[in-house]
Formats: sequence, C-alpha cells, structure tokens
Amino acid sequence: MPDRIFAAALAVVTLIYGALAFFVISAPFQYDPLGPEAWPRLLSVAMLLCLIGLLWRPATRDFDVDGPSWARLALVLALLVGYAVLFQPLGFILSTALFAAITSRLLGAAWPRAALFGVLIGAGGYLLCVGLLDLNLPAGPLPRL
Amino acid sequence: MSKFTSLALAAAFAATLALPAAAEIDRPECIAPAQPGGGFDLTCRVAQQGLEGLFDRPLEVSFMPGGIGAVAFNMFNTTRTDDPNAIVAFSTGSLLNLVTGKYGAWTVDDARWLATAGTDYGAVIVRADSPYQTLGDLMAALKDDPASVTVGAGGSVGSQDWMKAALLLKAVEGDPRKMRYVAFDGGGEALAGLIGGAIQAYTGDIGEMSAHMDGSLRILGVMSDERLDPPFDEVPTLKEQGYDATWPIMRGFYMGKDVPDEDFQAWVAVFEKAHASDQFHKAQAEKGLLPLNLSGKEFDAAVREQTRQLHDLAVETGLIAN
Amino acid sequence: MMEVLSGLGTGFSVALTPFNLMLVLGGCFAGTLIGALPGIGPINGVAILLPIAYGLGFPPESALILLAGIYYGAEYGGRISSILLNVPGDAGAVMTTLDGNPMARNGQAGKALSLSAVASFVGGTVSVVLMSLFGPVLASFGVKFQPSDYVALMVFAFACLASLVGSSPVKTLIGALIGLMLATVGVDANTGVQRYSFGIPDLLAGIDFLIVVIGLFGMAELFHLVESQVRGRLSTVPIDKSFVTWADLARTKWTILRSSLIGFIIGVLPGTGASVASAVAYGTEKRMAGAGGANFGKGDIRGLAAPEAANNGSAGGALVPMLTLGIPGSGTTAILLGALLMFNVTPGPMLFAQRPEIAWGLIASMYIGNVALLVLNLPLVGLFARMLTIPQHYLTPLIAILAFIGIYSIVGNPFDLYMIIGLGVFGWILRKLDFALAPVILGFVLGSLFENNLRRALSISGGDWRILFSTVDSLVLYALAVAVVVVPIWLSRRSRRFAAVAEDE
Repeated sequence: MPDRIFAAALAVVTLIYGALAFFVISAPFQYDPLGPEAWPRLLSVAMLLCLIGLLWRPATRDFDVDGPSWARLALVLALLVGYAVLFQPLGFILSTALFAAITSRLLGAAWPRAALFGVLIGAGGYLLCVGLLDLNLPAGPLPRL
Repeated sequence: MSKFTSLALAAAFAATLALPAAAEIDRPECIAPAQPGGGFDLTCRVAQQGLEGLFDRPLEVSFMPGGIGAVAFNMFNTTRTDDPNAIVAFSTGSLLNLVTGKYGAWTVDDARWLATAGTDYGAVIVRADSPYQTLGDLMAALKDDPASVTVGAGGSVGSQDWMKAALLLKAVEGDPRKMRYVAFDGGGEALAGLIGGAIQAYTGDIGEMSAHMDGSLRILGVMSDERLDPPFDEVPTLKEQGYDATWPIMRGFYMGKDVPDEDFQAWVAVFEKAHASDQFHKAQAEKGLLPLNLSGKEFDAAVREQTRQLHDLAVETGLIAN
Repeated sequence: MMEVLSGLGTGFSVALTPFNLMLVLGGCFAGTLIGALPGIGPINGVAILLPIAYGLGFPPESALILLAGIYYGAEYGGRISSILLNVPGDAGAVMTTLDGNPMARNGQAGKALSLSAVASFVGGTVSVVLMSLFGPVLASFGVKFQPSDYVALMVFAFACLASLVGSSPVKTLIGALIGLMLATVGVDANTGVQRYSFGIPDLLAGIDFLIVVIGLFGMAELFHLVESQVRGRLSTVPIDKSFVTWADLARTKWTILRSSLIGFIIGVLPGTGASVASAVAYGTEKRMAGAGGANFGKGDIRGLAAPEAANNGSAGGALVPMLTLGIPGSGTTAILLGALLMFNVTPGPMLFAQRPEIAWGLIASMYIGNVALLVLNLPLVGLFARMLTIPQHYLTPLIAILAFIGIYSIVGNPFDLYMIIGLGVFGWILRKLDFALAPVILGFVLGSLFENNLRRALSISGGDWRILFSTVDSLVLYALAVAVVVVPIWLSRRSRRFAAVAEDE
C-alpha cells in the first residue's frame, strides 16, 4: 500500500512534469534536433511506465511508522525549519545554541547538559569555523568576529 | 571601560586611518558568476591584482556559476542586496541578458554599477592547422553555406558569445538561425572543444587568448574598431578586413542596490585610486584588457548607454519583441 | 624521461625543506578538519582557505605546497563523515558511503577509515606518477574527447551502474529517473530556455549537486536516526580498535590499482570528475567480483577501496589538462588554477618551460601531500572512530548543524537550507520504501552530462545521429558498456550450467 500511495503521488508530479515538457517548454529556435523539451518528455514517459509497474506490483508491504515516531519526526522537522528560519536573522551562534539545546533535550539529554551542549556548539562552532577556518557564517545581532 | 572595549576602539580607530577601506569592508570579495577560466574569472583577477595593497587583505575571488550570471544577479537582488564586501564581475554579455529578460524581471536599475576592469573585444579563433587560413576563407564558407562551419562558444543561444557568432553571419548577410552553433558551458570547455577538434571556429574574447599565444591557435580577427596594443598588434580587425562586425565587451563590477552610500563611495574611491596606478594598468594589460577606466557616476552613465544599444541590437536580431 | 627526472629533482628540492614539510603537514590537518564538514570538499576547502594562504605572505611555491596539503586533507576529511555518519561530504564520496558506513556499523570503523586512507594514498600516488610521466600525451587525448564520446562514456557509466540494482529493479530505475528529472531544473545549457524553475530565482541555475547529496543523504540520515531512536532500535556501536591488516590490503590490491587507473583516466577528461570516476570504479569492481560480490553494499572492503582509490586518482588526472593546456577541466582544478593565477603563474602550454620550479614544485608537493596524509591520518583513525561513541542525542543535532554550516558557507543562501530539509524528508521516505539513494544521485550527475553532450554532438553534426558512433573512443566505450552488462549474465548462466552438470553426475 505505501508503495502505491507513493507511486500515485509521484505519478501526479510526473504528469505535471510531462505536461510542461509536451505543451509548454520550447525554444524560439535551436541548433540541435532535440531542443529543450525532448529529454524531459522521454523522462516523463519512462517514469510513468515505471510507476505503472510499481502500482501493478508494489513491493513494500507497510510503512511501519507508529504514532510516537510520527510525532517525534514532525517535531524534529519543525525544529529544523525553525533553525533555517532563524539562521540568518539570529546569526549562527544564537540559532545553533537554541536548536542544539532543544533538539538534544528532545532526544533525551537532561536540560542542564542540553543547554551546555547548545552553548558550547554555538560559540565553539563559530570560533572554529569563522575564527580558524574563515567560513562565511551569519553573525546576526552579535558583533562579527 | 574594559580592556576589550578599549582594544576594539583602538582597532576601529586604526581602521578609519587605513583609508580608503571603510569599516564595513573587512573581507573584500569578487564574485565571478561563471566557471573558472573564462572571462569573468579574468575580470576578477584584474581587480585582485590591481587593488592589491588597497585593502588589508587580498580580494578573494569566488565563483558562482550557473544561469549565465542570473544566479549571481538574483543573489544580489534577494539576499545580499546590501553586502558591502562583495563586488560582482559583469560584462556586456550580462547587460545583454538583462535586456533580453534572462535575469527575470530585473532591470539596469537593480544594481549599483561600480567601476570598470577594462574592455575586451570579441575574437574569431581557429586552430593553427585549420583549413581556414584567413578570415576571408571562413567568411566565404559561411556565406556559401552557414551550416558548413561548426562554430562554438561558451554560451547558450541568446548569450553574448552567441551574439558574436550571429554577428559574423550578419556580416555576410546570412541567417544566424541557419548556422551550426555549439553551446558549451563556459569558455574553458569551448576552448577544449576547439583544440580537440569538436568545433572549427570559436567566437571567444581576445583577453582569454593571452595564455594561448604559443602558436597552437590562430586568431583570425578581433572585433574592435582599431588594432590593439601588443601582444595582439599583429591581429587584424574584422573591420579592416571588410566585415562590419565590432563587439566590444565592457568588463566591470556591480554591487547590490542597497549597499550603503558610504561603502559604495569607499569602493569608488578605491577604484579611482587603482585606475591611476601602474599596478592596475599592468594587471589590465596582462589579462589582455584595454584600458577603459570609469567609475561611479560616469560608469553608471556608460552602462545605461550601452544597455540601450544592446536593446536595439536584440530587437534587430529577433531575440526580443520590442 | 630524463627531463621528467630532473624536473622532479628540482621539485623535490623545493618541497623537501623543513619549512615546506611543516606547511604540508599543517595543511593536511586543517584540510581534514574543514573537509569533515558535509558539503565542503577539496574544491570549496581550498577556495575558502586560499586567501589565508595568500595573506600569510609565503613565497609562491610554499603557498602552493600548503594548498596541496589542504587539498589532500579535505579530500580525506570528506571520507570521515561518509564512513562514520553516512553523510557524504562531497560529490566523490557518495559511493564511499555504500560500503564504508556498513563497515562502521559492523564495528569496523577503524578499519574502514584506515583502508580508505591507504586506498586514497595509492590512488593519489598512482595518478601523480602517471601525470608526471605521461601528462602532455594524456592531455591531448583528453581534449580530443568530443561531445559524442562523452555520450558514449555516460552510456558506459550507466551500464556500470546497472550493477547497483538492488532487490527491486523497478525501484532502482525510478530512483535514477528521479535524479534525472531533478537535473533538468534550471536554464537549458543549449538554448537558454528555462525549465521547471517556475520563476523562482534560486532555481534558475538548477539545483546544486551538493544540496541534493546533503539533503538526500545527510538530512535523511538524521530523520532515520530520530526514528530509530524513538523505536529503541538504535544499537550502540562498541568502541572499535579495528585497523586495516595486511591481509585486507592483499585482498584489495588489484581493486585499488584498477580503480586508481580508472579514476585517473576519467579525471583527465575535462568535465568529468570524482563522482563519475568513483561510480564507474565501484560498478566495475562489483561486476568483476561476480558471485563473490554478494556482500557489496553490506560492508565489503573492496566496495570501500574502489571508490576511494578512484576519486583520488581522478583528482590527479584532472590536473593534467590544466597544467599542460591551461584548461580547467573540472571544478576540482578550477580553484588550483585560481591559486596559480593569484601568484601570477598562468598555467598552460608554456608553464613547464617558463616556470619549472612552480610546475614541478606543485607536482612534488602532491607526492608529499599524499604521504603526509597517510602519516598524519593513520594515527588519528582511532580518535575519529570514537566519534561514533558520541551519544545519539548530541550526534543527531550535530549532523544538522554540520550540514547547515557546510551548505550555508558555500554560497550564503538561506533558500538552500530549506532545500536540504525538503530533500531530507523526501530521502527519508525513499529509504523507508526500500529505494536505494545512490541511483538518484548518479542519475542527477550523469543526466545533465548526458543530455548536454548529446545535444552538443547533434548540433555539431547538424542532426545526424551517426556522429554518436563515429569515433574509435566511442565504439570502444559502447562495446565495454555491452560487455559490462552481458558478461556477468553469461558468467552466471555458465556457472549455473556447470552446477547443473555437476548435479547430474
């Protein structure tokens, strides 16, 4: 069943992809006989054939993720998105410290250790990457090194 | 006041003394919006050598390939609009892309045009053992049958590399759509294609050729109004050989449109100083660029003027409707 | 020959001073550190550290030697995260995860890291030796390789990858097609037309390779870890003191040598690099192992040694067209070209005649860089292997942080961060459904090379498809492609028939 759901979802995407290739993408003029549209057309057809094959004979029986796992995964996903949102405005040190502390707490570290981990990884990571290796990381409201 | 803050103040004071580097310009960077080895690479190298010593640290050159410069232009119109450290190399080709909408909805108003690195000219290049001994041979073949010569360059249809090839066709009243054109990913790959025999003629830039003056390649002509200075003084222009095809490539730098005035002016000051120096002229010459030293307001006007010319040219070759 | 020897003599006399030796060791160490960040491989590593090297004000040859050290260090650093965390650091390291990570999970992290160091050393050394002996000849071979030949090479690479087919051929094919479709996003390189970018500026140029790798592998691994932890399925890996043995080396010596050679040859071709080289080498070894290759993908030492030797071999090969012709064939060499230009050294046909001390000094420093890497990293293997003993609740966020640092510091675009998260979710779903991820990545890499070169070839010929079969190089490659697919089938039929005959008797 999960294979069928996946194949159906991918088929929808592929149909859109294919429709664009067949009806939208084209160049005003071109020097090769294929043009920008031939390759995507071929890919969309091949993909649809494969997906029909998968719909016909799915291989994976069940997705095997239980409730608590879904909850935890969703939470981690939310944390990652939050980290990405705050990465530039808050700067590396603050956003990383927050993300590291909350995530490690969520995954089982005790609060004091999680907080310590966050501070260490935020400040230490910044010093190491910007100070020593001269990488380009956002400073945020804190002064640049 | 702690020891740390007084140290910081001293450092800030020292920084103001070390003019013209403004406080914000602490890691100057030149972005070449293409793969290494091509024209933008050289443009940044001119700045790197020519500005040496005018900042505390060397100008870092980084590459941001893709989208024929669109990626860099978008980057500086979305996330790095006020980056005071970065200048981006551009050329006449970038302006062409801007005009033809290849950079999306952005226009010439969406960047601060800083200064020139110099100017370059298109060149028609073949291998030394090519059957096309002179430009006349090549042009005659193109006139006879536009598809008889495999021409290649480092850009897609509508790019400035393609324009040079199209201008050759127009010079013999041929249809650019009928030629046999191969689009490579950058000048380096196109040059490899020429040396390896995949293409017969390469419409590149004269500047790239300074590293290849060992006799394995022959420059049939340069697309300038007049002959250039050594080492290219032996190369005839297309014009003097009777073909009306000139293609100057202004090379320079822009910055994000929201860069604060003081930082922008600091950069302008740096370039004004550099443009007057021998080391800049030397760097310019080494990279095969001709002196064209404009900055600030003057440069902005020149960019707008050329953009208008390109617009007219693009309409003429059918790239855009109006 | 004498020229080569005297040249090398010059080079080594430059590179072997105590000061320069110290630089190469320091460079290797800094490179290993920076290379361990996902997304930062040798290319970006050298690019990032270049201004520092320049700012130190060393003479050109010393600075180049430092950079050679950083380059090799970063190359090796990328293996650490591939093997220990299943997060490939860069393009060339994807194949390394296939057997490297299972080895680490079987408690052989030390062995995997040390074998990888040895294979890298051999691959690097073989390619530098070949480069110093046959550089100019090979360079002219490299540029003679035409777009139509690249098409044949891609067909051969796809054929090699047929060996990656896992339990479900349909799923492998779907995986590869996903990669191929992702690669069509962005400006079309031939006509300049936009495809599937929907006007999003960050997609105009297409999706960066590193983003796909870090997303599909790195972030997907993170979700996988979180899920395993909730279910209590995470077994702790014992602190392992394993190390590569002479018996391992004896078993892999031909694998390593073959792969070094494959890597070198593919590296010489402009436009193809470590990713293609390691994939072809892995596929070849798996094919050659035949029935004995059942353990590939589950922690076979040959499956680790092959890509490691090949990607280092290709790194050396890629320098050939740059040093001898002045053409930077791949991103790998591009930055070294930049470094040379920074010191007013213009690589090209005239370099060896005009600046022999630089050209040969660089080559000598590559010999030394290889050795330095081995000397420096073998003792540190135990330390790196201990990374696996970091508790999961610290390791999981650490993976995300490293990936964010790596991806952000390259271009500085926050959009890329959302991309890796999205691709991470997608990769996790694919993993749950038993899709192999390597075909996705390889489809992504090979797809645009295939399409662009096919269309280039057809524009050269004016639409005549016969150009695809017009050169000896391409015919040889097609023949090899057929052989790679057919021979193993034939061999297994034959052995089955033998088995049947044996049973009859």
